[in-house]
Amino acid sequence: MLPNKVASSVEEATADIPEGARIMVGGFGFPGTPEALVKALLDRGVANLTCICGPWYAGARRTIDASALIASGQVSRVISAPPVAPGPRSGATDPSSEDDRLHLEIMPQGTLAERIRAGGAGIGGFYIPTGLGTAYEEGKEKMNIGGVDCIFEEPIKADYALIRAQAADTMGNLVYRLAQRNWNPIMATAAEVTIAQVDEIVAPGMLDPELVITPGIFVDRIVISGGANDPT
Amino acid sequence: MTLPKIPRISRELMACRVAAEIQPGHVVHLGPGLPEMVPPYVLPSRGAVFHSGNGVLGFGPRPEHDIGDAQLVGSGGRTVTLLPGASIVDQATSFGLLRGGLVDVGIVEASQVSETGDLVGPVEMDGGMGSHAAATDVAEGAKLVIAMMEHTTRNRSPRIVTRTDYPVAARGCVDLIITDVAVIQVTPQGLVVREVARGWNLSDVQAITDPHLSPAPDMGYMSFWMMGGDLPSKVWKSGPEAVADIPDGATILMDGFAGPGGMAQYLIRSLREQGAKDLTLVSNTAGIANVASFGTPPGFLTIDHSLLVESGQVRKAIASYPVSPRPSQPSAFEQAYKQGDAELELTPQGTLAERIRAGAFGIAAFYTPAGAGTSLAEGKETRTIDGREYVLEQGIRADYALIRAHKADTLGNLVYKGTSRNFNAVMAPGARITIAEVDEIVEPGMLDPDAVVTPGAFVQRVVQRPADFQPYEPL
Repeated sequence: MLPNKVASSVEEATADIPEGARIMVGGFGFPGTPEALVKALLDRGVANLTCICGPWYAGARRTIDASALIASGQVSRVISAPPVAPGPRSGATDPSSEDDRLHLEIMPQGTLAERIRAGGAGIGGFYIPTGLGTAYEEGKEKMNIGGVDCIFEEPIKADYALIRAQAADTMGNLVYRLAQRNWNPIMATAAEVTIAQVDEIVAPGMLDPELVITPGIFVDRIVISGGANDPT
Repeated sequence: MTLPKIPRISRELMACRVAAEIQPGHVVHLGPGLPEMVPPYVLPSRGAVFHSGNGVLGFGPRPEHDIGDAQLVGSGGRTVTLLPGASIVDQATSFGLLRGGLVDVGIVEASQVSETGDLVGPVEMDGGMGSHAAATDVAEGAKLVIAMMEHTTRNRSPRIVTRTDYPVAARGCVDLIITDVAVIQVTPQGLVVREVARGWNLSDVQAITDPHLSPAPDMGYMSFWMMGGDLPSKVWKSGPEAVADIPDGATILMDGFAGPGGMAQYLIRSLREQGAKDLTLVSNTAGIANVASFGTPPGFLTIDHSLLVESGQVRKAIASYPVSPRPSQPSAFEQAYKQGDAELELTPQGTLAERIRAGAFGIAAFYTPAGAGTSLAEGKETRTIDGREYVLEQGIRADYALIRAHKADTLGNLVYKGTSRNFNAVMAPGARITIAEVDEIVEPGMLDPDAVVTPGAFVQRVVQRPADFQPYEPL
């Protein structure tokens, strides 16, 4: 039977995310942030999560996004681009020594994006020069390829991806609006289960195939979140 | 430290001075903070394309009265506007184009810069909060890296330092430092002051700078005039003109999944007329459309890569499917290969696509499971990852790409039609010069930014296929 991808609520869509899960959270600032899905995790208090996300904000904020999840104490490990944080913490050092509760793995933003894409595309790892000569290269394998010194980077995958799009059809095909796209299309490919929060769900055939950015095969669950367009 | 009590220029004038470095048609990355002030000082008519880390290409100033679209923000997370000709890409493409050298100017707010051009990103913005965020990728990827900053911190210590106080985002990458008192070039011989703000002299600037500064021979006051002429047009009159400079020995990405859909047939024919030799073609098939017919009328041949093979212009092909589906009717490339006239590097189709993408986006090499344990892996490094064998494959970087799209705007943004997208969208960023053959050319703003598949930043030339062009030739 054709699986039904449409969940009736964000609670239902996220109900099986267990403690200790590795989750990717899309969004870059407000656009593309699946805030209703994040809020469901916050409400349920799922603990010991690994959160994979772009730059996040240290400290309490009014928005509901990856930063809020990290601030809630439900996250034990963060794999991210450099966070917006006070002083040296915002640099390339691993600040885990300052805060035993949180283990941070921080890397250049483009490296994170490529590692997630590699995870989704079945790439076993890749060599890039980004971060050579900085703290980012510490502990990583290096190789000279064609005269260029490179760092070996591994793919990143997750158990769940929480993403946000403008509209979906019932088969899970997604379209994004403007800067909403950001991390969402690559995260959609790199998780066992991808859950998309959308403003609108339409019947198959209603989305122009040329405009679909994320094909439905990458998306397992879709859920409408009403009124989520307003920043919280 | 006693500071010279000379007025410094405003942040607005700093943005104006930074804007003067931007040449017509430049792709310009703007990081969060001060760089976000630059767009109002660059006329849209200069055709500069502003890139933000989140994947927006072609944004403009902040919206009036801060009433913007909540789904459209720039690097700093604040709303921006789009200029005609904008496009949107995902995060991996957004940073791929930085790594791949497609960004002409990268402008980052710096907390500190060392005398050798080491960059500390904006780690001290907004009252001590900040982030390197994209600074590493920008500093290493952009051709010209401008660090924009106030010359001293709030507690008046120099930001241009001998040793940085924070972890660096990138080593030796900053080319130009533009502050509220000076324009300073980072050179192998040290820091050279090119311009100072009015009222300042070299020793005033030196007094608030750690490392030694030398004056440029023509050091003068800060100039806010834009240099460079008009925006060079990407629209070329004809195929022969667009391919005229392809030299002998060039590596060319050429599409065509198999059939004529998505093949730049007008450009292929133009290249045959042009006659460049010893070419390396990177393509899926190396030309099988004219032996697989694909709707060609009887008595005709479909124009495909075979034209170039038959005219003796091809020395080598990197391809995944260089054989005819009909053994009785071998392709031109098959025959040339059998006769020893052409070399072949056989690559699995997905690996070919990934190698082209890697070459485009600054990835030197990657591990793929495709081909492991087969003859395709011979001579290549292998590695077992999580119990599975992977083969190390290297990126392919080309001189030219001849691609085919449905529509372009005059800035080179492309949309495709149906399956003609195939390799074209992957190849577009992968060459030094990408030439797109299209059915129609429209003005900037006529293509929906959400619908653009290939941003204009990837495309150097656009040619319209003539309305009377016949995609086949008589047998």
